[in-house]
Amino acid sequence: MTALAGDAALDLGRGLVLPNPVGLASGTAGYGFELEQLIDINRIGALYTKGTTVAMREGNPPPRVAETGAGMLNSIGLQNPGVDVVATEFARRWRGWSIRIIVNIAGGSVEDYVHCARVLEPVAEVSGLELNISCPNIAHGMDFGRDPAAAARLVAAVRAVTGRCIVVKLSPNVTDIAAVARAVEDAGADAVSAVNTYVGRKIHRASGRPVLPLGTGGLSGPAIQPLALAAVAAVSAAVTIPVIGVGGIIDAPSAQDFFVSGASAVQVGTATFVNPRTALDVLDGLEAHEGRRAVRRPSDPPTS
Amino acid sequence: MTADLSRARLESGEVLVVERLGGGLLELVARLPHLAASAAPGSFAQLRCGSGTTPLLRRPFSVAWTQDDTCGFVFEAVGVGTRILSALQPGDPLDSLGPLGHGFTLTSDGPVVCVSGGLGCAPFPLLIGELRRRGVQDIIVLNGARTATRLYPAERFARPGPSVTVVEATDDGTRGHHGPVTELLVTALRAQPSALYACGPNPMLNAVMSTLTGTEMELPAVLEASLEAPMGCGFGTCLGCALPMLDGDRSVWRLCCTDGPVMPMRDVDWMGLSALPGADVA
Repeated sequence: MTALAGDAALDLGRGLVLPNPVGLASGTAGYGFELEQLIDINRIGALYTKGTTVAMREGNPPPRVAETGAGMLNSIGLQNPGVDVVATEFARRWRGWSIRIIVNIAGGSVEDYVHCARVLEPVAEVSGLELNISCPNIAHGMDFGRDPAAAARLVAAVRAVTGRCIVVKLSPNVTDIAAVARAVEDAGADAVSAVNTYVGRKIHRASGRPVLPLGTGGLSGPAIQPLALAAVAAVSAAVTIPVIGVGGIIDAPSAQDFFVSGASAVQVGTATFVNPRTALDVLDGLEAHEGRRAVRRPSDPPTS
Repeated sequence: MTADLSRARLESGEVLVVERLGGGLLELVARLPHLAASAAPGSFAQLRCGSGTTPLLRRPFSVAWTQDDTCGFVFEAVGVGTRILSALQPGDPLDSLGPLGHGFTLTSDGPVVCVSGGLGCAPFPLLIGELRRRGVQDIIVLNGARTATRLYPAERFARPGPSVTVVEATDDGTRGHHGPVTELLVTALRAQPSALYACGPNPMLNAVMSTLTGTEMELPAVLEASLEAPMGCGFGTCLGCALPMLDGDRSVWRLCCTDGPVMPMRDVDWMGLSALPGADVA
């Protein structure tokens, strides 16, 4: 099967059809209510929300962000209002939106994820779940992402309580990302997104101490795009479910790199902070490519 | 609560001049019609520094003043972003996202006291212009800096229009009062201001608050400070620019970019703010 990158719908299964393959990455678009005021958000295919937990989280002490070469470190600590607010107040505000809402959920135990999935299950405005098994900024945030067996147990437990599309957001901070991808596919995931941020560290040179209070944070931005491409290529060679590429996309060509590497959809992240229109520009750029450049899907034979 | 971003817009402007004021202070003047027409006192713009991926993030700057379709920004070349801005030439493009942020609460009653420390002068010309339009005549600016050359020129605090009373202080005594600007505060408070606005380094703001609470005098009804924090997006989505604020007795994080940058000084967790590390500038 050969598809075009800017081509319309992408069926992720379980009733979730993305109108186009461009999404807003978790943690860079909140719940959409700020960007809604700045851009025509409903032209974008999907909004992957801020990581959402059972209870409200106040987040980490500042500084929470630090700029690095072609990138930034963050240590937000999953500040969010808790899943109940998302399922009620936020869902009401999403009514009538055509951008697909995929709620990113996070937790410290299987029960946390299952609880969030149950609360969101009856919410019509929510089209899917993205399981965050890869947050580098909270205690145990990456435990599930590092161990294929633990990741599989988590996915199976959430699979048991939801009919919604499950996307699993993979951590790049592992020895074998393909093994984790295969495990979550076998456990019932409908898609994987790759990758979350890379663990990084910046030193405050005047003091010789780390800039971020926890010592490390998650690195994002164009600096990680080649790393993310390698991860997406490895993952897409290992699974048959769709792979959603994320990491350092700043424009249509840098998004196109992900499709060529095996992704079926993409997410724009940090670039939205710099230019809130980036996802729309990517979408427009990909659509301009249509008819001129076919893009390989994971099911096609490799070309290199 | 979601911030009101209805006035914010991406805008491609043009640099008119980067003026060297002395002591390292720079004033960037750019044609940015939307920002000039819609900036409120205390609001800021996220300016792109160059067009590459390093530096990646925009930098927040108070809109110092507006005139017709132009805006002024006051800054110092201290890091990679501000060094790029300092080298801009007339005619160069300037990419702005703004206006952003929650600005000053405007009063129509004088007298008003503005306390400025160093680059903390930045939001005051626009504020003073707006107060004037509202009929406030009695405006006192207490302007402090390390040394005389780093004092923002007194006549620029009121632009355009008749000058305001500017009382200066320098740490080294090279001009005005020899000592911190907060030492001028008690005298200024005798005028029983209806509003006090402050902007400057956190230790200065902390000293302003200590001085105010240490006097027997009644505090001004409007008591606000423009704060800063390392910022990712500037419009409330990255949650990077957390500041410690009081919610009753509890310290909670609020966003500098959308809850601020202007915050009620009564609600700032000054202990928490003092405990934060200094800015990482390279």
